[in-house]
Amino acid sequence: MSEPSIFFTEVNERQGVFHRRAFLMGGLSGLGLLALTGRLAHLQLVEAQRYEKMSASNQFNFRLVPPPRGLIVDRNGVVLASNRPNFRLLVSKDGKLDPADTLKTLANFVPLDAERQTRLTKDLIRAPKRSPVSVMEDMSWEQFSAINVRAPELPGVTADMGEVRVYPHGGAFAHVIGYVAKVNKEDLAPTGPNSEAIMLHPGFRIGRQGVEKAFDLPLRGRPGAQKVEVDANGREVRQDSGGDIPATPGKEIQLSLDADIQTRALEVMGDESGAVVMLDCRTGDVLCMASAPSFDANRFVRGMTGSEYRALANYERKPLLDKAMSGLYPPGSTFKPTVALAALEAGIDPEQRVNCTGGWYYGGRTWRCWKHGGHGSQNMHDAIKNSCDVYFYQTALRVGPDPIARAAHALGFGQVFDLGIPGQKKGVVGSREWKRKAVKREPVWQPGDSVSYGIGQGYINVNALQLAVMTARLANGRKALNPRLVRSIGGKEMPSGAAVPDLPFKQEHIDYVRGGMIAVANDVSGTAYRQSQLGLGDVMMAGKTGTAQVRSYDNVADRNSASVQWKLKDHNLFVAFAPYDAPRYALSVIVEHGGLGGATAGAPRAREVMRVALLKDPEIRARIEKPLPMPELTPDGLAEGAAPEAPVAGAPPNLPPPGGHI
Amino acid sequence: MTVSALTRPGERDRLVVKFSEIDWLFSFALCLIAGAGALMMFSIAGSSWEPWAGAHLLRFGILFVVMVVLAMVDLRVWFALAYPLYGLGLVLLVLVEAIGDVRMGAQRWLDLGPLGSFQPSEVMKLGIVLALARFYHSISADDARFSWWLLIPILMIGAPVLLVAHQPDLGTAMLILMTGVAVVVLAGLDWRVIATGLGAAAVAVPPMVMFVLHDYQRKRIFTFLDPESDPSGSGYHILQSKIALGSGGFLGKGYGLGSQSQLNFLPEKQTDFIFATLAEEFGFVGCFSVLFLYAVVIFMALRTASLAHSHFGRLSAAGVTATFSLYVMINGGMVMGLAPVVGVPMPMLSYGGTVMATVMIGFGLVQAVRVHRYSEVTSGKGSFL
Repeated sequence: MSEPSIFFTEVNERQGVFHRRAFLMGGLSGLGLLALTGRLAHLQLVEAQRYEKMSASNQFNFRLVPPPRGLIVDRNGVVLASNRPNFRLLVSKDGKLDPADTLKTLANFVPLDAERQTRLTKDLIRAPKRSPVSVMEDMSWEQFSAINVRAPELPGVTADMGEVRVYPHGGAFAHVIGYVAKVNKEDLAPTGPNSEAIMLHPGFRIGRQGVEKAFDLPLRGRPGAQKVEVDANGREVRQDSGGDIPATPGKEIQLSLDADIQTRALEVMGDESGAVVMLDCRTGDVLCMASAPSFDANRFVRGMTGSEYRALANYERKPLLDKAMSGLYPPGSTFKPTVALAALEAGIDPEQRVNCTGGWYYGGRTWRCWKHGGHGSQNMHDAIKNSCDVYFYQTALRVGPDPIARAAHALGFGQVFDLGIPGQKKGVVGSREWKRKAVKREPVWQPGDSVSYGIGQGYINVNALQLAVMTARLANGRKALNPRLVRSIGGKEMPSGAAVPDLPFKQEHIDYVRGGMIAVANDVSGTAYRQSQLGLGDVMMAGKTGTAQVRSYDNVADRNSASVQWKLKDHNLFVAFAPYDAPRYALSVIVEHGGLGGATAGAPRAREVMRVALLKDPEIRARIEKPLPMPELTPDGLAEGAAPEAPVAGAPPNLPPPGGHI
Repeated sequence: MTVSALTRPGERDRLVVKFSEIDWLFSFALCLIAGAGALMMFSIAGSSWEPWAGAHLLRFGILFVVMVVLAMVDLRVWFALAYPLYGLGLVLLVLVEAIGDVRMGAQRWLDLGPLGSFQPSEVMKLGIVLALARFYHSISADDARFSWWLLIPILMIGAPVLLVAHQPDLGTAMLILMTGVAVVVLAGLDWRVIATGLGAAAVAVPPMVMFVLHDYQRKRIFTFLDPESDPSGSGYHILQSKIALGSGGFLGKGYGLGSQSQLNFLPEKQTDFIFATLAEEFGFVGCFSVLFLYAVVIFMALRTASLAHSHFGRLSAAGVTATFSLYVMINGGMVMGLAPVVGVPMPMLSYGGTVMATVMIGFGLVQAVRVHRYSEVTSGKGSFL
C-alpha cells in the first residue's frame, strides 16, 4: 500500500484470513459475472436467430383475410353468383371481455333483442379464444360508422367490411349452384383443406349444395394475410401493410347454363312443381336445368330462422328438392320413342299395323289405351304420333325387355352423368337381369311387365336430365352426347359432351323415330300439335308427350277430373327438340301432377322455353328473319293425314286442332 | 493537498478531506447504472419520463446525497449503531408479523401512515451485515474459525431469516441468509464447517422444496427447471424474458424498438425484468457494458473492504458488497433463465425505491469504510454501545 497509515494496530491473523476470503469472494463474484456473460453470449449470439423468430411471432400476427370467392357465370358471362360488400360487427373474446355486458352495450347501436343476445352470449363463451364471432351482418353505413367511432371504448369489438355471397337471380339457379353457409363443426377436418385456419374466420363460407359444394375448393381461392403488430393481450397495435400477403381470389366457374333460358323456364313453371332441362344437341351443354318451385339461395347465405326453413322443408311441392336430377318419375309415353327404336333395332317392321280398339285383352286383364275409342289401325309412325298405348303394349311384348333396356341405356336412361355436381339419381331401367337382382319378391320378368314397360310404366324410372339426354341423343342422331354443366374452371375448358362414341343405332331407325316425334308436334293430329307451334316461321319443334301415373286407375272412373286432388293427379311430361330439321336444342319438361297427357301442362311450357333458346341463337334468328320464298308457302301440310315426314311449313300456330286430342 | 498532509493527526476528520476521500469513480459507476435504468424506463414508457424514469432519477439523486452524507459518518458511529439497527429490524419483523399489511398474499409491509409503507426485511439486510461485522470484530480469528461463539451468529442470522421466510418472502429470506453466511465465511469460518454446511444444504433442499414451501413457490422452482412446459402459465415470465434477451442479438433492436417490452410481452418490464428490456434494445453490447459496470462496483467495493484497517470496516463493507453481488447474480440468473423467478430486482437498474434505498445506504457504509479506513474501532467486546 502506497499510503502510509498511522493507525494500523492489528496486523493479525483475522486480517490475513479476511484478505484471502475477500479475494475468494471477488473471484466468486467474477466467476458469477462471467457465467452471466457466457449465458448472455449464448442467448444473444448463438441462439439469437431462434429467439428473434419467437419474438417476431410474439410481435406479429397474421390476420387471415378471406379470399373473394370465385364468381359463377353462365355461358354468356352473366353473373350467377358473386360477392357484395358487407358491413359486419364482430366480437372477439379476449381475456377480460364480459360477453353479456358487451352485447348489451352494442344493443344501443344495432338491433339486438334479448333472445339474440342470449344466443350470442352462449356462442361467445363457446368460441375459441381470439376467434371473433359475428354479431351482426349487413349493417347499414350509419351503424357501421357508429360502432367504428366507439371502437376504442369497446374492447374486443370490431366493425369491418367483408364480402358476402350474393345470387343475383335469386332462386332461379338455387338447385344447380346451391348456396354457401357458415362453417359447422362437422365441416372441420383434422387434415386437408378443411383443416385450414381460414375455416374459422367469421367471414368464411363453405359451399353447401350444387356447384358451390362440388367446386368449393377452386371457388375458395387462397386466403391472404394482414400483418398486424399485436401486444401481449392480442390487441392490434398497428398494421404493417408492407407485410400483407394478398388473397388469391377463387377461380371463376363458367357453367353451360343460359340465364335467360333458365329464368324463363322457372317463370313458365309458375306455381307448378317440376323440372325443365334443356341441352344443346350438338355439344351436350346443359342450357337450362331448373327445378320448380325454387327457393332464394340468398336466404341461406344470411342464415335462416328455423320457421323459415321448416316452411320450405315441409311445403308439399318440395322446393328444396332438385327435381331435375333427383326427382324420379315414370317416363310414361316419353319412353315410346325408345321402345320404337328398340323394336326397329330388333327387326320389327314399322309398317306392320296394330289395330287399337281402345284396349287390349292380354294376360287376363284389359290393357287400356288412353283413347277410349281407340286409334284404329296404327303403324309405328302413327303410334308415336298418336301415342297409341295398344301398339306399344304389343310391340314391347314382342321385343321383350332386354332390347328395350339396351336401347334405353344407349339413350341415357339408368345412368348418372358426370355433371360435376352431386345429387343425381340413377333411376331404374328394367330388364330380366335387373329384375332378378332387384325384385326379390318376384324375380322373374313377367310378360305383363313388358306390356307396361312399353308405355314407360312399371320398371322404369327416370329423371328430367335423363329425359333431356335421351331427346338430345335422338335429336343429334349420331352421338351419344353427354351433358356438360361446367364449361370451364378458372378459364380452363372442361371436356365437351360431344367427344363421345356414336349411338349404336342405325341412322334410318333414328330418323324414323324422329319422324314420329316431328309428327307429334307438327301433324295436326299429333298429340301436341297445337301446343308445339313455336310461331317462328320454318323453325319448328318435334316432341313427345307423356303421362306418368302416380296411382293405379283400374278402379277409378275418371282420371282427368278436375276434382282429383293435386297430389293424386298424373305427372305431365314432355320432351322436345328444335329445329326439327337441324336440331340444336333438346329439352324435357316434367310437371308434377300436371294432369293427363303431356300436351296440357308440359308442351306449352316446353314451347316457351324453346322459343327463348331459339330466338337467342343468332343463326336461328337469321333463319327466322329471312323472308321465306313465296312458292314454299303452299299450305299442303295443313291437310289432314299428310305425309308424316313432311314439315308443316308455315302452319298458323294457333290453328285449332281438328280432333279432341290431348 | 499533499499526501503527507493526510498523515497529520485529525486531518482525516476534516469534512473536506473526508469528502475528497469518497470513491468518486465508484460513485460514477453507480450513476451510470442508475442512468441506464432510467434510460430503459424512458424507453418502455413510450419515450416519457412518466411514470418511471423521472421518479427513478429523482430517487437516485436523493439517495446519492444520502450515500455521500452517510460516507461522512464516522465508522465508530456505524459500529455503535450496529446492534441497535439489527434490534430495530428484528422488532419491526415481529411487528410486521403481528400487524403488517398483507399484499399479494404475503405479509411484508408495514404501514407508516403518511410516510407510506416499507418492508422491514430491507432494514434487516443492512442490520445483519452490521451486527455480524460488529460481532466478529470482537472475537479472535480462532473463535471465528470454529468455537461455541459461533452459536451467536447462527442465532443472529436464523431469527430474521425465519421471520422473513414466514411472511412468506422466500427471496429476501434467502438473501439475508446468504448475506449472513457470506460475512461468516469472510470472517474466517473453518473450511470443514463450510463443506459440511454445503453438504447438509444439498441434502436438505429437496425435502424443503417438497414439504415446506408454498405451492406457488414450488411451482416457480419447477417452472424454472422446465420453463417451456407451460409457456403461457408460470413459465411465461422466463420464456418471454429469454425471448427478449435472445432476440436482442449482438447490437439490440434499437432504443425504443424492443417489441417484447414495448408490447408488454415482457412481464415486470420496469422492475425485475428491466435487464431483459436493456438486453432487447441494446443487445449483447449493452448487457456486457452494464455487467461490466456491476463488476466495477463489486470489485471497487471489495477493494475498499480490503483497505480497511478495522475488522468491523472490512466485514461490513464486504457484507454489503456480498448483498449487492447476490442481487446482481440472482436477478441476472433469473432474467437469463438460470435461476427461479424470485422477486429480486437488479439493484440500481430496476425501478423501485426500497431496494435502491437499501443498496445506496449500504454503499454509504462502504464509502464510510473507505473514508474512515484508517480509523481505529475500539474492540467492543461485551459492550453494546
